[in-house]
Amino acid sequence: MTDEKILFIPKIENGHVIDHIPAGLGSGILAIVGFHPELSGIPVTLGMNFKSRRLGTKDLMKLQIDELPPAFVRHLSLIAPGVTIKRIKKFKVERKIVAEPPEIINGLLKCPNPNCISNSERHLRTCFHCLEKKPMVFACNFCERHFAIEELEPILQVAAKPSLVVKA
Amino acid sequence: MKKDLISIDDLKLKKIREFLDLAEKIEKLPDTDKKALLSGKVLAALFFEPSTRTRLSFEAAMLRLGGSVIGFSDTVTTSVSKGETLKDTIFTVENYADVIVVRHPREGAARVAAEISRVPIVNAGDGANQHPTQTLLDLFTIQKFFGKFENLKIAMVGDLKYSRTIHSLVQALVKFDKVEFHLVSPDTLRLPDHIKAQIEEKGNPLIETTDLSSAMSCCDVVYMTRIQRERFPDALEYEKVKDCFCINLEMTKTARTGMKILHPLPRVNEILPEVDSTPFAGYFEQVKNGLIMRQAILAHLLGAL
Repeated sequence: MTDEKILFIPKIENGHVIDHIPAGLGSGILAIVGFHPELSGIPVTLGMNFKSRRLGTKDLMKLQIDELPPAFVRHLSLIAPGVTIKRIKKFKVERKIVAEPPEIINGLLKCPNPNCISNSERHLRTCFHCLEKKPMVFACNFCERHFAIEELEPILQVAAKPSLVVKA
Repeated sequence: MKKDLISIDDLKLKKIREFLDLAEKIEKLPDTDKKALLSGKVLAALFFEPSTRTRLSFEAAMLRLGGSVIGFSDTVTTSVSKGETLKDTIFTVENYADVIVVRHPREGAARVAAEISRVPIVNAGDGANQHPTQTLLDLFTIQKFFGKFENLKIAMVGDLKYSRTIHSLVQALVKFDKVEFHLVSPDTLRLPDHIKAQIEEKGNPLIETTDLSSAMSCCDVVYMTRIQRERFPDALEYEKVKDCFCINLEMTKTARTGMKILHPLPRVNEILPEVDSTPFAGYFEQVKNGLIMRQAILAHLLGAL
């Protein structure tokens, strides 16, 4: 597996690696990179569908920037809570943090309960409250059901509209 | 600030006790005083799905407190059938009424209504989620029969998996100390783990069984529920369990003295009519208490009590 990584995504000397991105979510994260002007023009590499012991398959992103804007990190934790952010210095991992889920997530995740009002009422912003962080469990503000983070589907098209980006 | 009643989970123990005290207070009021409580106030009953006793009891509660009632009991003849959103319906109706009672097939509908409405919202059932006024009237009934909740042994029988009434009642009862739960259900209809976890977290004794007779012989309250045909995707699975718990006269002979059988109604075969005239039958008293509790809720939300 390590060999494949080297083959497809070369190591970076300095910058940040966003690891353990659930497969398929990488393109969503790439979309939000475009909303943060501080990240404009930096080299970004996205790898998709790598094998992962934890997730089965995962996406991986590398950004060649020394400091990630805090607003981007907060935004990332809304879109993909649980991903690992590694700071790379001279090809080595200098620091590693897990993007913690926020207490409340507004408008960015879809309720998997088909009978939840948030799936039928037009223009209603979804809202989830974090109940537990390990493992991550959220309660839908409307139908009150509890879900593991893996069950919550990101509303990527919302993230693709700058005007609807949640205040980080 | 506007008050709503959306979920039993929103209520702390103190608030639940406040509703129970208010119901007791309103029950003792003379009819003439009751009639003056909500005089000139209008209740809108928005029933987006069918209901008999909940709708009638809310309407009766409002009328007996001197108020009046508008609303609908199906959506066929309303703008909802033309595709109107719940939000627009609420924005419209709040101009006509002082309080809105909502029953809706979608879970969370009452919460949405409460977030946007300027007038109080009462949840009269939202899909399989919550039915807080049923829970409050159940608690009121238990309090009237036993005068307390602490150390009571309560059997919940039947469909513990899908019944929102059971889920809400468990969530309310765990707020009281030392309630002992006896969960009587077929294996396929056991209480969901996340609700069971709430009982265990509080350290309440919990017994799971399929033996209704033994639960009846040791419990103070036996809360029956209907096995809901509409919840079963497979008709054969429904046939296997539909009549698995049925209380007849013979079974009451071994019941604990003072035991009360409750049921949110409507019943099918869970309690035979021969039990109705025994001192164990508490379900018609429960219906009466529903009216009183809903009067207390309406009066409280409208600031009259």
